[in-house]
Parts: sequence; structure tokens; C-alpha cells
Amino acid sequence: SILTLFRICFESVTYVWLLFYSCKQVNIAHYWIFINFFFCMFRGRMGRSYFVDEAVGEYLSGLQAAPGSCVTGLLAGQRDFVVLAVQTPHRESEGQLKAPKGVSPLDDIDVEWVTEHAKQVSRMLPGGLCVLGLFLVTPPELSKDAQNGLKRLIFAVEKYIIKGRLWELSEEDVTDRVTLHICSKTKKLLCKTFDVKDPKSSAKPADWKYQTGISSSWPMLTCSVEVDLQIPVTGSSSDNTDKCMKDGLRRWAKQIEAAYCLINGRQALDDSELISGQVKTLHCLSMSQEQSELGERSSALVQVCSGSMRVRGVVHCRAYIHNNKPKARHAAQAIKRDIINTVCSRVEMFLEDLCINEGSQKGLCSGQQALPRRVFAPMPISGLSVCDYMFPDESTADVAERLKEMLDCETPEEDIDTSLENNQLFSIISGFEITDSQDDDSSKHVSEIQAENPKIQKPPKYYAGVALAAAIALLATATSLLYFS
Amino acid sequence: MVYSEECDFIFRLKGILEFACQLDNPNGVQSQSTISKSFQDLRSKVTSKNIVFTVCNSPVLIWPNTGFQSSVESLTEASACGDILQWIESDDGGSKKSSKKKDKKKSGPTVVNMKLLFEVTEPAGNTAPSLIRVSTQQHCVKMPLPLDCALSVTTDERLETVCTGLVEALNKQLADMEEVVLQYRKGSSFLVPQPFHFQLPEPAGLITVVYPAGVPDSQLQAVREDLHRKFELPCDRPYLRRANAFHFPDAAYKDGYLRNPHIHLNPPNIEDAKLYLVQGVYSYHHYMQDHVDDNGWGCAYRSLQTICSWFQQQGYVETAVPTHTQIQQALVDVGDKEPRFVGSRQWIGSIEVQAVLNQLLGVTSKIMFVSQGSELATKGRELANHFQTEGTPVMIGGGVLAHTILGVVWSENTGQIRFLILDPHYTGGEDLQTITDKGWCGWKGPEFWDQNAYYNLCLPQRPKSI
Repeated sequence: SILTLFRICFESVTYVWLLFYSCKQVNIAHYWIFINFFFCMFRGRMGRSYFVDEAVGEYLSGLQAAPGSCVTGLLAGQRDFVVLAVQTPHRESEGQLKAPKGVSPLDDIDVEWVTEHAKQVSRMLPGGLCVLGLFLVTPPELSKDAQNGLKRLIFAVEKYIIKGRLWELSEEDVTDRVTLHICSKTKKLLCKTFDVKDPKSSAKPADWKYQTGISSSWPMLTCSVEVDLQIPVTGSSSDNTDKCMKDGLRRWAKQIEAAYCLINGRQALDDSELISGQVKTLHCLSMSQEQSELGERSSALVQVCSGSMRVRGVVHCRAYIHNNKPKARHAAQAIKRDIINTVCSRVEMFLEDLCINEGSQKGLCSGQQALPRRVFAPMPISGLSVCDYMFPDESTADVAERLKEMLDCETPEEDIDTSLENNQLFSIISGFEITDSQDDDSSKHVSEIQAENPKIQKPPKYYAGVALAAAIALLATATSLLYFS
Repeated sequence: MVYSEECDFIFRLKGILEFACQLDNPNGVQSQSTISKSFQDLRSKVTSKNIVFTVCNSPVLIWPNTGFQSSVESLTEASACGDILQWIESDDGGSKKSSKKKDKKKSGPTVVNMKLLFEVTEPAGNTAPSLIRVSTQQHCVKMPLPLDCALSVTTDERLETVCTGLVEALNKQLADMEEVVLQYRKGSSFLVPQPFHFQLPEPAGLITVVYPAGVPDSQLQAVREDLHRKFELPCDRPYLRRANAFHFPDAAYKDGYLRNPHIHLNPPNIEDAKLYLVQGVYSYHHYMQDHVDDNGWGCAYRSLQTICSWFQQQGYVETAVPTHTQIQQALVDVGDKEPRFVGSRQWIGSIEVQAVLNQLLGVTSKIMFVSQGSELATKGRELANHFQTEGTPVMIGGGVLAHTILGVVWSENTGQIRFLILDPHYTGGEDLQTITDKGWCGWKGPEFWDQNAYYNLCLPQRPKSI
């Protein structure tokens, strides 16, 4: 593109001038910076860079692995920002610890359990955030095979998470997933990405860079959405019920995806950026149905069904968007996906629970039952929140226990916010949330951090010796053009 | 197409609401009240705070039921509705303030299209999410209701009045739809109610009638009779058939034919003369259309097609405009021609036109004969009468040519006359500019006719029906 060409020309000119100038006084320090920067630019052109919260780094270095065994875990965040790492919880197996049967501990990794954990965790993440990848801690002798293990896991996780999701990935969604390998002895990190769209793809190198306070000023979008869906059920087995529910929800999800989204009073359609990074008002307007879907129907669609299900009530939705020039339509997409996800997740959970309690060959019995309620809790350190779903017979203690198990974090019960969704059926209390991203006691830091934002993305150490750095960049550009054009 | 002179704007609001209900027993007595309840829910949805109007092709969003909020600050409830135009992005770019530079006559009111939306993010209550399961056998009925409301207003009407008017219109339309659905329901078979707009003579103006889909006009006679009585419309010509539906100025005709090219012409200015024109809408049919090369022999066929298009668009017939082959076959069917006539390039005249109109459309026609072209100038009174009472296009054949007469300017005192002629001999494309500039549709004087040839005129008569 033109911009790249311009940049290359500019860099070339600077390089030539600097080379001529620096030829007069060359010493070992210059060569050192040159080589270091050369490799950085080299890698920068080749793969992604992930910016990781320092708290994640602390968590990872604090992981304890039994000697000779592996630890798996998830990495979560948004786009190229990683804000959470959680190790896979210990699985309570029916009997005692199974004897290792594989050739190596890598084979012992319970892929099914890892994927289940990933699914549970992604249900707990508000909109905008998702499971970005996995990490794997192995003893040094297994480091060579770690990459294969990670590849197997990452594709399995992706496949499991997509199942049952009611919205499709768009072209703009990133399909690279990050994998991090940590050697338990040297603590060396090896970061790579896999493109989950292409099962045959190989790993690409990626950068893993620590920063502080990545998500502390991420704008938050919240809204309450009223849902009232009538879903006919044909057939009587639970599979039928699930399928009918899925179809009904899918139609509703399409309407939500097609809805107009107004952020701060402007339609979030084009590439315009969120002004001031704050979301003060949010409205979603739905068209109910597209004209073209009508076709030439001259009569109503009538189905004889064995019953019906109605999902009704008000759900509270939340999404976060990063603050590196976020686009309004990505914000709209994030909140819309959260709306869809929260309704689907809780219906899914309810039906799974029903299956366990009432048996799989249940006839549909009548009645109204409360769906699990969404509650929010602060995420460890990063300033964001996570959510969980509380069944009517549960309490905040149960939620705290789940948070500990799934997200490996201690949450005091009083921090769990249960006020956002009501627990009374058909009660009439108005509820409408507009908030911006202020945390309780860090609000005074927000403005300071905002002012520093433009600089945060450029790691400070690269500004040392800027003149020579430019020269080295030129050399890297020239080389990469030569070898990789 | 008669536009009400005062109304500058038509606000048209379209949207789809899904009607859904569960019937335990479609034939039982309960079902009617269940259906009514569902409609009641839809009506309360429309009067709730959550409806939003959006103006198509613009960033304007209006919440009409929450004390009139709009997404654009300069548009408040007291704004004149004409102010909306500056926010609409027209397809040809540029601001709408400099309106089209046509020097032709005003092309009718401006249509502002709006869509109906619902806000999902401002719930009225905060009820906990729950799942309600019903396990009795039911009939689940789902039907999309195609809402379409139109309101005619003047430029300085307040936006608030317009929006309140539209909300009322939505309510009324839902009530009308409920009536139609209940009336035409058979057990669990429901017909989709479809709204049609009609431009009636003042004071009724633009009205909307809901007809059930799939029921042909012939079966809706009684409904039309009631409406004719209600709006005091004459009982001998159709106003409320589906074909009479109001054509919105901004909608293109799908078939591609030009409609009423004569309205873009200025009638000749003759002292003491009055204008008598064809009434209603016709399509311009001429040589080479529909990939039929009838250059040199098909002029009378084309004139006949123009006349058929008139009867179709006024709602008298539902059959499509006949092709050359169909016209020839009709003549064979009545015994007027031998079977080998079909597929030939033989000319037809006014008598044949009369026969075909009778055979295919059930329309009777009068024949007028003039022995010399020069005599046509004296037929002013007859033609004026015809356009006043019947208002149908007239086919004239004589010499070696056939034409269509669409109107006359005639002075009773001086006898001066001009004829509005639609010429089927045009071989080009549907280019209005060429057709009007080059006189393919134009005003001609008595010298236009061959002074020595004899002419036959076919004057179709309107059937007396609604």
C-alpha cells in the first residue's frame, strides 16, 4: 500500500544518512542495538504482537507444576490484549488419580476437560472478551513436543466453543489464537499463533510483551434488553426441545445482529471511532423482520406443535472494548454478541440442568421457572468484570466457589453484584443502566491514564537511541524486502 | 393521477410486525378472543415508548411516544416537516435543497419513506428472565403483518403532528387488519391482511384499505360497495380495486413502460378553448417493444395495447396487456379472421380493435366514421364529450396509419381544435425526453390528418362496475 511504500522510502533515506554519519564512530554498542532491533523488526513483520497485563505475567510465574507433569490453562482478553490467565482446574475424577497411560504426560492432558473449561470460562466473560488461546507449562524434556500438544488443544477448544454459538464470525474477526509455552525450569516463554480457520496451518511466531494497566480504561457498554420469545415445540423428546429452542433463538439472534446500534447518539455503522472513548448512551433498535424475508406469503404459517416455550424477561448485558482507537461498529458488535450470548447461555444451562433433573425422556411439563440470573464480579486486578449465572436455589457463596474453581480467583461474596437483574418474576421495577468505565476507587486514575494512552502502546525501551534505531529499521526493511518480497 | 393541490408531502411508514398466537382449538369459541388478545398486544406495542421511526437514507431517528425525542438536535416537535428533507441523502448526491431543475410541471408531492423500528434496550420493567413451558397440543400461528401507513401533509405541518398521526394510523391499521383476519379466517387457515393506498377525490384524500391476500377483487365486491357508499364515490367506476392503488411518485414501475407521457407537455394556448383529456393511467406501447419487430405493420396493435393497458390499470380487468399473437388469436376466435392470420403481419383497423376489446376484455366500443380527414376538425364536440364521460384513449385508423388520441383542446365558439396524439410508430427506447421533444407524444393540429383519406375511430366505453 501507499503508506507502506512511503514509510520504506523515508526509512531508506534516513538509513543511508545515518550509516554515512555513524561510519565515523562505530562501536560495539551500536552493533548490539542494531542486531536487537533487526530481529525485532524482522519478527514484527512476520507475526502478531500480544500485549499482556503484568498481572498475567505474575500469575504465570506463580504456577506450580508437579515435577514431570504439565499444566494447561487459558488466556483471555480481546484482540491482541491478554488480560487473564487461568489454569485448568483440577478434575475430580470418580476414582483415584488415574495411572499415566500415555507415553508422555503430554498425552495425559484431558482434552475434553480443557475444552469444557474453556467453554465455561467463555460463558463468564462479558462481550468483547473471549478466550484468546492457551498456555502450557512443561518440563524441559517435553518442550519439543509441546507445540504439537498446543496445536491439538487449540483446535479442539475452538471447535467446542463454536458449537452452539448463534452468531457467525465476520470477516473482521481475528482467527489467530495464541499459544504460550513455558518451560517449568527456565521459565522461558515461547509464543506462537495458530490460524484456527485452517487446520493445516503451521504456527507463526508472535511477540509476548508485558505492560501495566492494559484494561484499566477500557470503555464499558451496558444495557438492559427485554426479551419475549415464543418458541413452538414439535415432538416431545428433549432433543426436539433443544433443537426447537435453538432454531427459535437463532431467528431472534439474526434480528439482534441486524439491529441498528446507536452509541452516544450516533449510528455505529461505519469506521468512525468512538469519540472520547466513553460510552454514555447505547440504544439497539430492531426491525423485527426484513421485508425481503416475507416472500410472497399470502397465508400464515401454522404449525401443530406439542407445546411451546416462552423466554421472557429482562437481561442485563455488558461488553468491553479496547481503547486503542476502537471503532464504533466493533463496539456495537461486541454488545450485540453479548446480548445473544447471555440469553443463549442461560437457556442452555437451564435445559442442561433440566435434563439432569428430569431425565432425558421428559415430556414437557408446564409451568414457569426462573432462568439463571446473571451476576457480576470484579476480575482479578484488571479492572474488568466477569459474570456468572446463579440458579434460583443458589447463593453468592455458590458463585464465589465457581469463580474460584473456574477462574482461579478469590472473590469476597460482598463483591458479587446481584442487583443488576431481578429475581422476582413479573415484578415491575425499572432498570436501566448507563455507565462509563469507572472503577470504584480508581476513578481518579482514569483521567491520568487516559492522557498517557497514546504512549502506552509504544514500549519505552525502543525509544532509547532513536536515531540509530531508525537506521536499524531501515536495514531491516531493506533486508525483508530483499528476502521476503 | 390527480394529486391533491395542497399536499406537498406524503409520509410513508412501513414496517413488519409479527403476529403470533397459540390456539388450543382453532375451531373453538376461545380462538377468537385469543386472536384479538394478540392484536391487542401488538397495538400496545405500537403505542409504547419503544417504537422508533427512522427516515430512510438519513440519520434521523424519532421516538414519537416519549415526548418526541429525535436523534438530530435541530429537529424538534415544532419543526416543520419540510426540514426533514435536508437530512435525506438522495441517490444522485448533493443536498436536496437545490431541487431538480426541471422546467416541467410540478411532479407531485415529495414522498418521505420511513421505517418502523423497536428499541430493545429500554425495557419497561425489570422482570427476571424466565422460561414458561406449555405442554398441551396447540396450533402455533405466525404471520408477518406488512404495515404500511401514509399521511398527506403540507410543508409547514409540525413534525409532532405528523408522528402522532402516523402512530394513530398504525393503530387503526392494526384494528383493520384484525377485522380482516377474523373475517376471512377458516379454522387455522389465516390470510395475510395487506394494506393498499388509494387517492380518492377530496375531501377523502389518501386512504388505506386492508384486503386479504389471495382473495381476488371479484370476490370483494361487497366490501367495495360499502366503501363507495362511505366515501360517497360514484357507483359506476372503480376506485378501490387493487389495480387502482396509489402509485407513489418515487416508486419506479417494474415493467419499464412509460406511464402518461402526456402530463409532461403543456397544452396549446387557444383562446376560449377547453382541455379534455384521457382520465387515469395508461402505458405507452409502440413499435419494437417486447422484442417484437412490428415496424411497419403493428401500429394498430400497439394502439390497442395502449387501450388495454388503460383498462388494466383502472382496475376493470386483471388480464395482462395482450401480445400481437394473442390479439390475432382473439380475432380468429370470434370468426373475424382465418386461422392463418395468427403469426402474419397483416394490419388491423378500428373494427378489429373493437372486436378484440370485446372478446378479450369484455369492453364495448363505439365506432365513429369520417369520410374525409378534413372532417375530423368538426368532431370536436363528440371527442370532448367522450373524454369527459368515458375518458378512455381513442384509437384512430385511416389512410395507412393508426394513432391514439389522448385528448383535445376545443373551443365551442370558434371551433378551433387541437389533438393530443400518442404515436405508436416510435421505434426507440423508453426515453421520455425524446418522446416529448420529438413529438411522438404531442399536440397536433387538424392538418396532421390526411385530408382526403377516410378514418375510423374506436371509442371504448367504460363498463359500469366497481
